[in-house]
Amino acid sequence: MHYPWWYVPFLTSPMLIAIISVLHVLVAHYAVGGGLFLAVETQYAYRYNHREYLAYLKEHAWFFILITVVYGAITGVGIWWTIGVASPLATQTLIHIFVFGWAMEYVFFVLEIVSAFIFYYFWGRLDPKTHVRIGWIYAGSAWMSLVLITGITAFMLNSGQWPEERTFWAGFLNPQFVPQVFARTGGAFLLASLYVYLHATFKAKDPALRDLIAARSARPALLGALLIILGGIGWYLALPESAKAALIAASTLNILVVLIFAVTIAVFFMLYLGPYRNPGWLSPGFAILFFTFGLVAITTGEYIREAVRKPYIIYNVVLGNQVYAEKVPELRRTGYLEGGTWTKAWVAHHYPQVLNNDRIDPAQLLALPEEDQVKLGEVLFLYHCNDCHAGRRGFSAVAQLIRGWTPDMVRTVVEHPEKAHFFMPPWAGTPEEAELLTKYLLRIAHPRPAGMYFGEEK
Amino acid sequence: MDPTTLIGPSSPLGYPAPYWFLITFKVLGFTLHMVPMHIWYAGVLLAMLLQWRGGEVGRQLSRRLMRPMPILIALGINFGIVPLLFTQVAYYKVFYPATILMAWPWVSIIVLLTLAYYGVYIYVAGLRTEGATIARWRQAVGWVTAAFFLLIGFFFSNAFSLMTNVRAWPDLWLRKSIGGAPLGTALNTEDPTLWPRWLMMFSLALTTTAVFIIVDAEWFAPQERPNYRAAARRAALMISTIGVIGFATTGSWYVFGTWPAELRESMFRGPLRALTGLTAISPGIPWLLILWQWRKGGTRARAVATAVAQVLVLAFNAISRQIVQNAELGQFLDVTVEPVRLQWSPLILFLLLFAIGLGVVAWMLRRLKAIRTSESG
Ligand code: HEC
Repeated sequence: MHYPWWYVPFLTSPMLIAIISVLHVLVAHYAVGGGLFLAVETQYAYRYNHREYLAYLKEHAWFFILITVVYGAITGVGIWWTIGVASPLATQTLIHIFVFGWAMEYVFFVLEIVSAFIFYYFWGRLDPKTHVRIGWIYAGSAWMSLVLITGITAFMLNSGQWPEERTFWAGFLNPQFVPQVFARTGGAFLLASLYVYLHATFKAKDPALRDLIAARSARPALLGALLIILGGIGWYLALPESAKAALIAASTLNILVVLIFAVTIAVFFMLYLGPYRNPGWLSPGFAILFFTFGLVAITTGEYIREAVRKPYIIYNVVLGNQVYAEKVPELRRTGYLEGGTWTKAWVAHHYPQVLNNDRIDPAQLLALPEEDQVKLGEVLFLYHCNDCHAGRRGFSAVAQLIRGWTPDMVRTVVEHPEKAHFFMPPWAGTPEEAELLTKYLLRIAHPRPAGMYFGEEK
Repeated sequence: MDPTTLIGPSSPLGYPAPYWFLITFKVLGFTLHMVPMHIWYAGVLLAMLLQWRGGEVGRQLSRRLMRPMPILIALGINFGIVPLLFTQVAYYKVFYPATILMAWPWVSIIVLLTLAYYGVYIYVAGLRTEGATIARWRQAVGWVTAAFFLLIGFFFSNAFSLMTNVRAWPDLWLRKSIGGAPLGTALNTEDPTLWPRWLMMFSLALTTTAVFIIVDAEWFAPQERPNYRAAARRAALMISTIGVIGFATTGSWYVFGTWPAELRESMFRGPLRALTGLTAISPGIPWLLILWQWRKGGTRARAVATAVAQVLVLAFNAISRQIVQNAELGQFLDVTVEPVRLQWSPLILFLLLFAIGLGVVAWMLRRLKAIRTSESG
């Protein structure tokens, strides 16, 4: 661990990344699909000189800008902010591998923002042909930015050949890349139609126009649902073994996967029977229901994508506790406290007596007074476990997980977390350090709940 | 505690491009970022003051400042991505620790910015529907927005001064942490450079906003009443004067009151002396140009000349800041000596896309020019 670990009570700091990422993707997919919607539909409305539809599209473009250019852009920047402070080593690694990927994505951001503003603010002043072209510039750039960022996020789930080759392209063209581009493109189509329905049921007053919108937007939505399912299958096939196992083993994830497929299929049929065959059915209630389904599906999808990556942030490269996977054997020899820049400084400052030739002597740690051992156990907990577990209470609080455990049970998990659950990183410290952490955990563990009856020994 | 022990090891991956390449984009990006950022940083507050106490022309000016604000903010955020990206590439060893120590204020920027951005939209929507008499509640939103922008600037000044103020890390960390893990509530307020830096940026923002007013009046305000442009020039001169005085005061405070002697010596020696001098006096040039236009009247060409001069001012500022940043860090680490593992093909692809992207933007802007000429002709 090269960096200080940010302690966020109750939630744990990586949960902030999860929260902001979900808030972002809900809009980011619309930013892509909505761009295509505007380009295609404006072209259509111009071709048939459909004035009312054009007026509606202009209104939609304004809504689109308010949502995507403001909220979408800032939450996107917000992901940068939170990953830097809550997952610094992984962020540093990604940046050093992919800085030009992001730089390229940036070029498309510029095109997106310029074209979006021109598309809206010069509505009616540009000739139709140019106007539509600007719409397509937006749509194309937005989709390219999706492709570029997907290469990077997909890399985190399956780093493919990168650990051997260590080149940009080996990382970017990873096994998860194509399936995720499919799934995300599908998500963009589907979600955009749901945003359109939501907006149109409130804003398009004329029933004939509403029916037209309902019917026309059903097609990309149906296509989107298909792409999500296809991409989802490819995603599953290209998962590393550990991620597949995590998916199957964890009951919540299991349920979520079933849920997401069920929701997508349900949305598919509802779209088919509803807006596609019977556009008149589209009512505000229906649109809100659809929209909620869409948000739920996307949120669960993102949650699963994050969850199955454990114990890695970047598969086979960076572990959840912000150490390089390849450094684990060395840390087991020299110590986790010694290996971390800030943990070492902490020990050197508070307990200079355990230093020997400027290195932490593991044996000396156990010679410290009991209270100090517990305190160092807390340091180990925060730097080794707090990225996934809160302490006394909160998200996956370890004090709750080990409720009623014997010291030996705790010690066993501390010494071999990766054997207790393969989605925990291996113990990356010395046996003495494991002892310190065990002492700390036993100190904070909640007692066994009282009053439970199992018969009496006679 | 020796603060250098808190600086982590180098990335085994090395820099993806030579240091000079990274730093060029960082400085260029920051210069571009400052242009729109300054206009909202000082502009929103100015617009609120003018709306409140500005008289008729003042309110007109206030409206003209606020109306393009949504676009300026979008561009400014967008341009900020580049310097931030390259800061993280080249300064990761100090950027992450500094922002983690002040994680809560740092992350709160996102929340503040979202609220401020919607605040601007709410205000501008009022301009469209309510015209000259903006509803009270919208005015309140405008003031809060202006305050949020100042606060965001304050947090940025904190982060970037803390990044080089490695000496302060141990104390901030030991005071605000649990079991060695920072709480993320620190701020760099004990660093004497923080205050002049923050105020200096605001002063410079005033001068950029003044130039914006001049450019806007000459280029985009043909439909305003004729006395508007003269009034705008007068206002711009006033704002620019305050900005230049503020810049001179806070700049002297910063350089002579807070820099260590060695830094000052190095910035006043050899060729750097010329750069330091230019950075210090260059804001006077746009000011003189504005003064000249106030007396002799403005033209479009004069406005453009003023804008170019201002961009140069900002560029000098960005270059000097970069040199000072490296000098301050010099006692702790040398960011220029990291190994480089050049990523040729992504780099070339990026440059290619960059060129194409600029071409497409130029194409779009030409279309707009075509409408303007056809509408006026
Ligand atoms: C990469 C994330 C991650 C890290 C890091 C991690 N764990 Fe876990 N741990 C988990 C997950 C996920 C579970 C399952 C939680 C659940 O079932 O609610 C778990 C479960 C546990 C359990 C309960 C085991 C059981 O048999 O039910 C204990 C105890 C535990 N972890 C301790 C630790 C300790 C101690 C550390 C630090 C050395 C640690 N964990 C680090 C993810 C992690």
